[in-house]
Amino acid sequence: MRELDVRGEICPYPMMRTVELLRQINGEDLMVITDHPPALTTIPWEAAKLGYEADLQRVEGRAEWRILLRKTDRQRSQQEIMAELAQKVRAAQAGGGA
Amino acid sequence: MASAPAGTKPLATYRLPLLQAIAVILVGGLTFLIARLSAYLEVFWLFGLAFGVILQKSRLCFASAFRDLFLLRNGGNMRGIILGMALATLGFAVIEYRAVPTPQAGALPPLAHLMPVGPQLVVGGLLFGVGMVVAGGCVSGSLYRMGEGYVGSWVAMLGVLLGLLGATHTWNWWWTHTSMDAPIIWLPGELGYAGAVVLTLGLLGVCYLLTYWWELRAGPRPNFNFTAPEIPPTSLRDVLQRGYDKVVRQGWLFLVGALALGVLNILIYQFEHPLGVTGELSNWANRAAALLGIQAPTLVGTDMLSGCLLVFETRAGVLTSGLMLDGGLVLGSFLAAALSGEFAVRVPRKPVRYVQSLGGGLLMGYGAGIAAGCTIGQFFSGIPSLGLNGFAFGVALLVGAAAGVQIIRRIN
Repeated sequence: MRELDVRGEICPYPMMRTVELLRQINGEDLMVITDHPPALTTIPWEAAKLGYEADLQRVEGRAEWRILLRKTDRQRSQQEIMAELAQKVRAAQAGGGA
Repeated sequence: MASAPAGTKPLATYRLPLLQAIAVILVGGLTFLIARLSAYLEVFWLFGLAFGVILQKSRLCFASAFRDLFLLRNGGNMRGIILGMALATLGFAVIEYRAVPTPQAGALPPLAHLMPVGPQLVVGGLLFGVGMVVAGGCVSGSLYRMGEGYVGSWVAMLGVLLGLLGATHTWNWWWTHTSMDAPIIWLPGELGYAGAVVLTLGLLGVCYLLTYWWELRAGPRPNFNFTAPEIPPTSLRDVLQRGYDKVVRQGWLFLVGALALGVLNILIYQFEHPLGVTGELSNWANRAAALLGIQAPTLVGTDMLSGCLLVFETRAGVLTSGLMLDGGLVLGSFLAAALSGEFAVRVPRKPVRYVQSLGGGLLMGYGAGIAAGCTIGQFFSGIPSLGLNGFAFGVALLVGAAAGVQIIRRIN
């Protein structure tokens, strides 16, 4: 699995660099590490356009997230992808705090 | 819950409860102190805190609203902002009516954000549009990200201050050579209030539909406003926990933030003047320069205008309403970020990002300086002020942002 660490990046480079790498790696899995909360919505959707599924996890105790992107053949409607992503993003946001 | 990824060094660690306690005590303490100092300043301080909380929670980023039209063909954020301005338009019209009941008589409502529609405004908007995309955030966006711990935004703000300083020293040239004779077009003066409101809302409606037309040319977009079916709460504790999660820990919908900012803008105009952030920043820049022996010139024309004008004011002391608003913005964002666990010191690792932040900040500062306002003062407050200047500035921002996207695509 490839790893891309975009922590510290200014907006919108976390998303731009992820998309650029996804276009190069030919279907390999990619783990993106980011500390940029807006990327939690932009990265999964831009990846979905390229046929990737996303899983989001918050790094415990920190304002950091890991986004695992995996190539999928699963046929889903846009509505399904949207619903799934919305749920995952909310869960990852609430995963922090005391 | 994941631990730190193997092989990567955490850039910032902090103990969450400690940080949250610091944020609550700091903001609470300042709120208490300012209240004892002056009720007037306290009002602006609370407006500033609300401003910061709204921007942070809803990630209300004007730069992304313009930028993502071109970068992602996504008009969602822009539509939210358009609705926020439509709401503010109604409130502003009522406030202006009370100040100037017969608009055709030639008087302008005091303190409304109205500017001559001239080259000064357009060039300022173009520069600002490029700068906000290159720096990764506009002026209010950089202020709220400063509160979230983005080091790049602190660098951008330094650029903004330097740009405002440059604008102060060139304002007179712009004013006398380009905009002195350009008209201030205040729509109620031409069409009456009803006509002005209908035209403004109509233009906003057209812009709203245009964003859909633009993005649908590239296929449908996701909508993160989708609400998943919820299991009904089982106890009062459950209700409170979920409410806390929704309001404090999770982000708000962009639209909620944009409408809340529209309401805030009506309230602050009702209290004194519409929202704006750059006038105060220019005062800091000019005061700091004065300490180094660089005196600001007398700014011609500014006594005839209102809005986020460049300022050099030493008599008012340090504690101004603008400081309360801008400072409150940063600390309100810090509080909201700390409580949702989103605060982190984010240090860009690529040297070019510092150049981008500083350069983008310079362009924004200079643009906001000569155009008398940023995405807040000249756009979000300008359009509801019922002038044509807000629309002209908006179009210039759009063109600038399109150019900015071409630039960031070439810098990696």
